[in-house]
Amino acid sequence: MEQWVVVTIIIVLYLALTLTIGLMAGRNQTDSVAGYVAADRSFGLLVMYFVTGASVFSAFAFLGGPGWAYSRGAAAFYILAYGALGMAPFYWMGPRAALLGRKFGYVTQAQLVTGRFPSKRLSAMIAVLSLVAFVPYVTLQMRGAGIVIEAVTDGHVPLWLGSFVAYGIVILYVLRSGAMAVGWTNTFQGVFMVIIAWSLGLYLPHRLYGGIGPMFEQIAVARPELLVPPGLTAAGDPWSWGAFSTFILVSAIGLMMWPHLFMKAFTAKDDDTLRRTVILFPTFQLFLIPVFLIGFAGVMFAGQPASSDFILPFMILETDLPAVVVGLFCAGALSASMSTGDALLHASASVFVGDGVAKFMPLTEHQQRRLMQVIVLLTGAIAYYFAMDPESSLVQLLATAYGIISQLAPPVVAAMYWKRATTPGVITGLIAGTATAFFFYTNPELKPYDMHEGILALMVHVPVLVGASLMTQRQDEEHLKGFFS
Amino acid sequence: MSLKTARVLTTIYFILMALAVTWPGLVLFARIEPFILGLPFSLAWISAWIAGSVVVLYLLDRVEKRYRDGGEG
Repeated sequence: MEQWVVVTIIIVLYLALTLTIGLMAGRNQTDSVAGYVAADRSFGLLVMYFVTGASVFSAFAFLGGPGWAYSRGAAAFYILAYGALGMAPFYWMGPRAALLGRKFGYVTQAQLVTGRFPSKRLSAMIAVLSLVAFVPYVTLQMRGAGIVIEAVTDGHVPLWLGSFVAYGIVILYVLRSGAMAVGWTNTFQGVFMVIIAWSLGLYLPHRLYGGIGPMFEQIAVARPELLVPPGLTAAGDPWSWGAFSTFILVSAIGLMMWPHLFMKAFTAKDDDTLRRTVILFPTFQLFLIPVFLIGFAGVMFAGQPASSDFILPFMILETDLPAVVVGLFCAGALSASMSTGDALLHASASVFVGDGVAKFMPLTEHQQRRLMQVIVLLTGAIAYYFAMDPESSLVQLLATAYGIISQLAPPVVAAMYWKRATTPGVITGLIAGTATAFFFYTNPELKPYDMHEGILALMVHVPVLVGASLMTQRQDEEHLKGFFS
Repeated sequence: MSLKTARVLTTIYFILMALAVTWPGLVLFARIEPFILGLPFSLAWISAWIAGSVVVLYLLDRVEKRYRDGGEG
């Protein structure tokens, strides 16, 4: 049998298994919004751990990670560094958000923010901002899935078809089972991904170089610039410390602001589950080490794939691995892509309907749930359209998304921790921050020290929020009591 | 250890970590040798901070839990 046939069979089996798990998951869920969005607040530690881990480790980690290590060397370490930093504050913020969620019935973070700062306009702004950030992120996941499938099947299954099938399956189970499907498929995919990453990460250096140590020693002699932070740019020039550092900061700040991650505070069974997930989260982070090893293993191999996003599958094929290994790798990458993609689609619909549409027209629970399912389809279709654009790069997509989503951090933190913050203050801050991010995104040559536009935007956002809040009238004591007692 | 001390120490750890894995902290450790467990030094350095954060969060949790069970804090 030809290699690509074996690979395709493994992928089909894998997809079938995921679909089954996804569809089975929703059986016992109630037909309510809380059921669809927050899985009736029922997730235990095991599911929480893998849901969180698997939805953070996306196609970007699995494909972008090795791709970066291979072509940009130590620049890739930024992906390793931010996760633990970004997750830690959630040890306190998570249970606090959960408490407010139970008290006031919140299922999204926009509800939390606008519960404290009542304003339809603010709610709509957050809904739109989240959706704008979600689209490049979903696009990235879809493109990642398509790239893997196209590469390992020798082009027999083209990108458009691979993305279409993988995401057709995701959409099917998200539509049917909501949060429960996301939970159980991610548990399965999370376990699968960790096993694949570690086995390939240890196997490849061993097979190609005789071990991890010998591999890095050889790279240190031939390409020492790859092993010293901040590494290289995509063009092969030295990367700047300003960019390296602010990429870490913006990702750390943005990480927990992703609605699909923040909403975990509302899906957890109890606070201890949340706290333990935070404590264990960095262990998931360390799984990036084998991912880097896979990328570094390719350094001494000649040859250049068509696009840097194709590096990993390209390398896997170049090294003459058995077809079964290639197939399993591919399924691992699909896990990474789909487990983030499903959470994103699910969250984008929950946020857009709950915080956007439902604020402006009365909808029954049943109608809301239906509308959410329509939005899942719609977001999927838009992302699919962008995923087919050959000009888009995985890394660029992710960086853009993080710049946008990090702007939610000041309103969320202010809502939970700063009594003196006011509604006009938060709205003004959000507008100023978003405008700054947009300005530097469109004029990258003006960025001081090559800093990430998301960080520059926060430098404007936070002082404006504080200043405008202090200049406007303090919130009513009765209203504040609900949040701070 | 009191709850407040534990929280302050945890916060300090993560601030130090933020400095250690970005500019300027990482500049000092941005080198290849010595190799640690076969990994270049800077990679091992960042990984060690991540491993450390599990320990710090675990210890924090023990203190927090004691206070929660005692009904204080």
